[in-house]
Amino acid sequence: MSTRVSGWALTISMTAFFAAPSFAADDATTRKDLMAVIALQGLPCGEVVSVKTQGDNDHIATCKDGNRYHVFLNSTGRVVVEKQ
Amino acid sequence: MRAARISGLFVLLMAGCGGVKPAPPGESPQTGAAQAGPATMAPVVPVTPPRPPAPVVATQGPIAAVAPAERSATSPAPAPAGKSTAKAGAPAAKAAPPASAAQPPRKDIVAQAAGTQKSAPPLDLTSLETRLKDTDAIGVMTKIALKNQVDDLLDQFRAFYAGKVKTTLAELRRAYDLLVLKVLSLLQDSDPSLAAAIVASREAIWGILSDPAKFATI
Repeated sequence: MSTRVSGWALTISMTAFFAAPSFAADDATTRKDLMAVIALQGLPCGEVVSVKTQGDNDHIATCKDGNRYHVFLNSTGRVVVEKQ
Repeated sequence: MRAARISGLFVLLMAGCGGVKPAPPGESPQTGAAQAGPATMAPVVPVTPPRPPAPVVATQGPIAAVAPAERSATSPAPAPAGKSTAKAGAPAAKAAPPASAAQPPRKDIVAQAAGTQKSAPPLDLTSLETRLKDTDAIGVMTKIALKNQVDDLLDQFRAFYAGKVKTTLAELRRAYDLLVLKVLSLLQDSDPSLAAAIVASREAIWGILSDPAKFATI
């Protein structure tokens, strides 16, 4: 019984250990992507420090300078950046 | 006395022959030119040695795909040789020109070959498009945003050529340069090879955009 519990504990801890960096990597990629999009629109940001994903291709990006942008893909296939 | 004369004559003949023998290797035809009629026949023979360089050029030729240029360059070489034999005037002066005429074309050919290799722009729009789509250096949203801006620029060109917009080609060039700079700034760190390919194709792409006839084929 104790061996089975310890096995499950090990599995869960290993999953958490490897999953956390992958989420972080995804988050870093998304932040970098949104930062480039905002910069391409010529809007001030500097660096995206946090991202709240609302759906597919729909994000709220918070910049280091305090600006917040709604970045999303509209129905015509254009990337839109709205300041909030 | 006779023996002395004969030996003297023999020595003179030997000296004469000794002076003629060194002629073939170098530019001795000049010595032949100093001599009279028979010397004109002798220099004609040395004229042939300069020809070996021509075949050498022909052997070097197949390296590149510029065979026609080489043929045209090598073909003039035999012509001067023929003229020199026809004139048969100053063989020394004519023996030298074929060599000097044969060498410069080689440099020209090499320069032309290098020029054709360098000047051939690696413009493959399909390949560039595919590489841009596949690169990991740019995020998905950024790629879509870039495509939006490319489409906007193409719309501006269409409006310009249709006469619907009062803009100049210089302004369009500025917009094009700015867009290319945006793409390069995104690529240069993570995908330098693709950035280099875009830089190499930059003027070629502008050549298509700035030409209404070519632009219509896009």
